[in-house]
Amino acid sequence: MVTRRARSAVRRSVLFVVALGLVAVGWEVYKALGPDAGGDIFGWKLIPKTNDRVMPHTWEMFAELTRPAIGRGDQQVWQVLLGYSWYTFQMSVAGLIAGTAIGVLLAVLMARFGIVERGLLPYVVLSQTIPLIALAPQVTAIRGSLDWPQWTSAVALAAFLSFFPITVSTLRGLQAAPAASLELMASYASGWWTTLRKLRFPTAIPYMVPGLKLAATASVIGVIVTEITLGGLRGVGYATIDYSQKVTSQPASVYAAVFAAAALGLVMFAMIVGCETYVMRNRPQEERG
Amino acid sequence: MTDQSAVSVRGVSMVFNAETSGQVDALRDVDLTVDPGEFVSLIGPSGCGKSTLLRLIANLIEPTAGTVLVNGKSAKQACADQDYGMAFQQSGLFDWRSVAKNIELPLELKGWDKAKRAARSQEMLDLVKLPDRGAHMPWQLSGGQQQRIAIARALASHPPLLLMDEPFGALDEMTREHMQAELLQICEVTNTTVVFVTHSIPEAVYLSDRVVVMSAGPGRITDVIDVGLGKNRDEDTRENDSFYKKITEVREALRGAELGDGARGIEDR
Ligand SMILES: Nc1ncnc2c1ncn2[C@@H]1O[C@H](COP(=O)(O)OP(=O)(O)O)[C@@H](O)[C@H]1O
Ligand SMILES: [Mg+2]
Repeated sequence: MVTRRARSAVRRSVLFVVALGLVAVGWEVYKALGPDAGGDIFGWKLIPKTNDRVMPHTWEMFAELTRPAIGRGDQQVWQVLLGYSWYTFQMSVAGLIAGTAIGVLLAVLMARFGIVERGLLPYVVLSQTIPLIALAPQVTAIRGSLDWPQWTSAVALAAFLSFFPITVSTLRGLQAAPAASLELMASYASGWWTTLRKLRFPTAIPYMVPGLKLAATASVIGVIVTEITLGGLRGVGYATIDYSQKVTSQPASVYAAVFAAAALGLVMFAMIVGCETYVMRNRPQEERG
Repeated sequence: MTDQSAVSVRGVSMVFNAETSGQVDALRDVDLTVDPGEFVSLIGPSGCGKSTLLRLIANLIEPTAGTVLVNGKSAKQACADQDYGMAFQQSGLFDWRSVAKNIELPLELKGWDKAKRAARSQEMLDLVKLPDRGAHMPWQLSGGQQQRIAIARALASHPPLLLMDEPFGALDEMTREHMQAELLQICEVTNTTVVFVTHSIPEAVYLSDRVVVMSAGPGRITDVIDVGLGKNRDEDTRENDSFYKKITEVREALRGAELGDGARGIEDR
């Protein structure tokens, strides 16, 4: 069983690398064949320029990581990016934790009180249609009035993005306990909260895992968008903006920052997979991811 | 008078979805008394209210009319006191708990301490002849083994009454006969009263002191047959003439009950 899982993990990693390689090859082929100054199709400007400023070579993007960072003494770009990533990572984890707490709490309340579900669920869904950027200034205003440090804005917005998948998946999981198991608990005269702890919650865990995976990446996005929207936070989101302004001197550095952001999302995702493997270690094969 | 009986059902009716187009008379005016130590089977076509009757005894639903007493107490009180254990067709073991922890579930809910729980679950594992499976996960066991664990769980707190709803219905014939013999042994050792729902005539006859024959539309008891095969039944019992006679008697009672609305879902094997 373990070997089959390990083999499928290896296969997925290989496929991931191959896909990445194919994208790089496509990029380089277009860069080599495409017109340097861009082009028109039926008078529309649809063909991007392929010069080094717009489309740096893929190897340039990687080489960029080991170049000295501008205005950072003898630090190299990857060291600076690592520092930024760590900063963003901490806020993302805090946002994920807050979002999970809120999401699980809401799900439990909705599962316990049908009236809460009917009353609240539409607003929970509606909340996700609000563009984050529109919300950011308001959150900052409230945070400012509370005199909380600036990073709490990022955590709040990350939590705002990540609580939704958690609420939905947890609610579904809490309602998934089989009728026979619920009757068994009823035959023990077990109350609702005891049944929640002993039956509903353990049943919900496999349902919560995909929600947590979505929430983990959503949390990173929440923090990065906050960094880009509001000044003052020095994380990966800030780096993408900062580097895009230096694009003339080091065109590939923007992509280096984008890689850092992507890597951060992967790390968060991997953390959840790690938790999943641990929590689900005793579950039957077909329930595992 | 009712205080001496393990189960006493008096004038019980159960109507689902009353006063809607989907109204179902699941049970009408049912009386049933089960004595302590007795093994009683409920048999009848699907939909005749066997599970409903069992669930009423277990206080999982409340009757529309009539009273249900367990050990002389209301069904609700008996439930709160854990006077009975239950086992269903699906073992209903929790995937995330080891076999031993599954057996300990009712004890945990009663607030037993850890050492006492562990000792009792081992005792139950010995009783169902799976002494070294405590650390396994339920899904690592065969269907028959899972069902034994479900029985062990139902009996873990030594309840005087065991309620079973087609517990062997999903097992193959060989395993099923084996489990029947073991269930009899276990009940003998633990002196447990059993109310047992089944589809199978031989199963009902083999296991029971009395077979309660039910019919549908509305669900009711049409016959009660004393089996009288004695307490010491074994594999040879299945070959006895008196065993076959009783099977025929139950079959005819069922056929008689079904005249008019057609026998469905009765296993003749
Ligand atoms: N919760 C319920 N709601 C509505 N109808 C039900 C419910 N439970 C059982 N019934 C109906 O009551 C009748 C008896 O069901 P049941 O006791 O499960 O039969 P059996 O176990 O003998 O097959 C059936 O017609 C069934 O559809
Ligand atoms: Mg049934």
